[in-house]
Amino acid sequence: MLAYLIRRMLWMVPTFIGILVINFGVLRLQGMTLSDELAMTGSAKSGEGGERKVEKAGAAVENLLSRFRRTGNDLPALINLRAFSTETGMRATLESLERKLGGEARESERNQREKDLWLYGRHAVLPLAAVLADPDQARLHGPASLALSLCALTSINVEDLDRLSKERRSYLLARNDELKRLRIDFDNTNAAGFRTNDAQSATKAAALVALVQRDVADFQTNWTQRLGSVVAETGFIDFLSRLATGRLYSSTRKEYVFTIIADRWQVTLWLNVAAIILAWGVSIPLGMWSARHEGSLADRTATSGLFLLWALPSFFIGTLLLHHFATSTGQGQEAWFPNKGLSSPGSYWLTPWDYLRDLLWHAALPLFVLTYGSFTALSRYMRANVLEQLSADYVRTARAKGCDETRVMYGHVQRNSLITMITLGSGLLASLFGGFVFVESIYVIPGLGTLLLDAAKQQDAPLLMGSTVISVLLLLVGILLADLLYAVADPRIGGRYD
Amino acid sequence: MTEQARSPWQLAIGIFVAKRLHRLGLWVVAVVVLLAVYAPFLAGETALVWWHDGFSLPILADLFNRRSYPKPHDLLFNVVAVVLPFLILGWRLWRADGWRKLRWSVVIVIVACAACLVPCIPRSGTSWQALWSDRPTTARTSLTAAALQEAGTVSTPAWLLPPIPHRSDATYQGALLKAPGERYAATGARFWLGTDAQGHDVAALMLHGARISLTVGLLATGLSLLIGLIIGAVSGYFGGWVDLLLQRVVEIMMCFPTFILVLAVVAMTSRDIFIIMLVLGLTGWADIARLVRGEFLAQAVRDYVVAAEAMGLPRWRIMFRHILPNTAAPLLITATFGIAGAIGIEAGLAFLGLGDPTVASWGGLLNQGRENIRYAWLIYTPGLAIFVLVLVLNLIGNGLREALDPRAQR
Repeated sequence: MLAYLIRRMLWMVPTFIGILVINFGVLRLQGMTLSDELAMTGSAKSGEGGERKVEKAGAAVENLLSRFRRTGNDLPALINLRAFSTETGMRATLESLERKLGGEARESERNQREKDLWLYGRHAVLPLAAVLADPDQARLHGPASLALSLCALTSINVEDLDRLSKERRSYLLARNDELKRLRIDFDNTNAAGFRTNDAQSATKAAALVALVQRDVADFQTNWTQRLGSVVAETGFIDFLSRLATGRLYSSTRKEYVFTIIADRWQVTLWLNVAAIILAWGVSIPLGMWSARHEGSLADRTATSGLFLLWALPSFFIGTLLLHHFATSTGQGQEAWFPNKGLSSPGSYWLTPWDYLRDLLWHAALPLFVLTYGSFTALSRYMRANVLEQLSADYVRTARAKGCDETRVMYGHVQRNSLITMITLGSGLLASLFGGFVFVESIYVIPGLGTLLLDAAKQQDAPLLMGSTVISVLLLLVGILLADLLYAVADPRIGGRYD
Repeated sequence: MTEQARSPWQLAIGIFVAKRLHRLGLWVVAVVVLLAVYAPFLAGETALVWWHDGFSLPILADLFNRRSYPKPHDLLFNVVAVVLPFLILGWRLWRADGWRKLRWSVVIVIVACAACLVPCIPRSGTSWQALWSDRPTTARTSLTAAALQEAGTVSTPAWLLPPIPHRSDATYQGALLKAPGERYAATGARFWLGTDAQGHDVAALMLHGARISLTVGLLATGLSLLIGLIIGAVSGYFGGWVDLLLQRVVEIMMCFPTFILVLAVVAMTSRDIFIIMLVLGLTGWADIARLVRGEFLAQAVRDYVVAAEAMGLPRWRIMFRHILPNTAAPLLITATFGIAGAIGIEAGLAFLGLGDPTVASWGGLLNQGRENIRYAWLIYTPGLAIFVLVLVLNLIGNGLREALDPRAQR
């Protein structure tokens, strides 16, 4: 029994990891990348003739960068070799950004490299400082100072506030301001390439190098750290750690994803649990009744009726019920059912009995829409099981010893048919799952479904991923429980593994 | 009466067609397909026949106008619309004259297709791309007709408009949420199924929405069939660790709530209808892979496979030329249900407001119905259409199962 349970749970680990990988892949599909956004805001190519305005570009990139760092999108997806960037590499990258006539890089490629440069983070700071310290490279000092200031910039977000001490925070803010101030003004034209047009460029470069030297501990890494960052600072690991520590942050709602989910998930859970109980509770008697009257007109009518029900899309039925039973006709006539939410305003003050009635009144339509689709499959399975059991030897024995039909049905056949119904549980759960998105959206129920939908519409990747993961977790726990029930119901399963 | 030898497939078709319900199902699907194919002839502003400055068929020229039909699936349906009569003609000829005249009927079909496409190519353009390109839309529309009627022009024009003289993508000013059967003030034409909140003609939307539903169903299922087939075949034929690995992947896909995955991917990438099809195809293959694997496991130990292996045939040939035809029956059944499922999911996405906003979709219309909950025709029309199509496809799938599964026959 225990062995079986552990085995099932272990099988779920690769499944869950697989789902996380798919999730992460979807996260990375996010419509906007940094270069897209920059192309849209137009700050990457600000001004005419390729001339760069340092402040404008810097401010736009800062905003985007802080957003990207918050979602983990600044890291490469699978392997991160940034920790091994060198001064030579940096110089080569900077040089390839030039716009000299006949320069080798195309525009899109140049944008890509530029983006890479900004996203390097602290790993690029020391090599860039080395470029700045070299007076022979004065031509590259402009772009290097911009890149350095962006890489060394620490984004201070809501989420960091409680992690940083007050002194540290003010120190970092001051350093960020300093970094912005020390950017060397330059332009980049097709004719001349990089050209510094800042009288104080030498002083600024020296000041930047001094600033980096002062905080060298923040930017320096040793070999073990670098090797560690190859794997640890990748997008996927970052996503996992954010997920595990609850640091997934929704930019659109300015809140942690799990805080948003925390007051939503129970609604969905109860709705689904109630729907499952209802579905099984209706289908099992229906299937038994059908099997008992096999071949009769009533049985055939039920079969075809259920077949029709199966093909009815739940969003159609949901809307239809909303139209007929939950919309007041406008002639002073009240609708039969409320058209949104799960409780009336002020239901908090109701007595428990009234509260329950209010809840049932609200949940009737959503629950029906959530369950009717599963009646067909479940009751047909039940019917087939009962028919199969009815032809078994023990039924004949029971009849021979004088049991009446009711006792045969409910005392003998039902129990044996139920075992198969429990096995169906884990299989059907996954296919039933997802219907709650429609129901919650039609009846405006504040659960995971509406959250998922809002996140999808606002393209809020962290929120979408968080709520998907929680939904899938609920599903997996449900499947596990169904397996457990199966093992309890069927002693052969437990016996095989012990 | 001599007993004629019949292949299993012929037998199965015989069993399938014997039931009236199944024949009805096939007829309904055929009607939906025909309505979708001939949607421009049934609903559109472009006149079918125009006799004013000489006789012309404006609809034929408009069929391949990219400005009127910007999406590629429309082009496909329009080509089918033009070619279908000739295909049927050629088929009849072939049936009538037997094998000897086959060559001639093929020639007739090809010549007919070419002949009907030639007038569609604009004379100004010389390149082949001109077949489906941007060009000014024809002025011979319902609105022109109404204006001419009012003005009472010198030479009496004559025209024949489609029965529903409204485009599916046009919004008709001053005709918001008209009830079914009301007239449009500007032209006097009726909105047979009413209009929605933006002033689209619901009947035209429904006809063009059928195209989307059918395209999604066929392409998405085709893609999942392809993926499921390859994965299932490899997994079932080779067995061992390959099987174990692939089965884990299949299990993950089975556990994943497909709808939520589709929702996430569509939200994060693009709402283009072809992306939606792609995602549906990429997520729907788990069931098929499982089925194919089972069939391959059962078939791989059969004598004919052993014989083929002994003859030294390459593996892919054994897999796809020898075993695969034996798995066709269950695949056909699953594919029918898959089409119904894909149509349902696409409609669901559009219903949630995540569909392609640039195409007419039944689910999108139902979404309008939810937002304007008092207007019953916005709910019943698309809802019943989705219901009937899904029901009929399920019905056909069930019928195929009865006909093809030897266990069900007894």
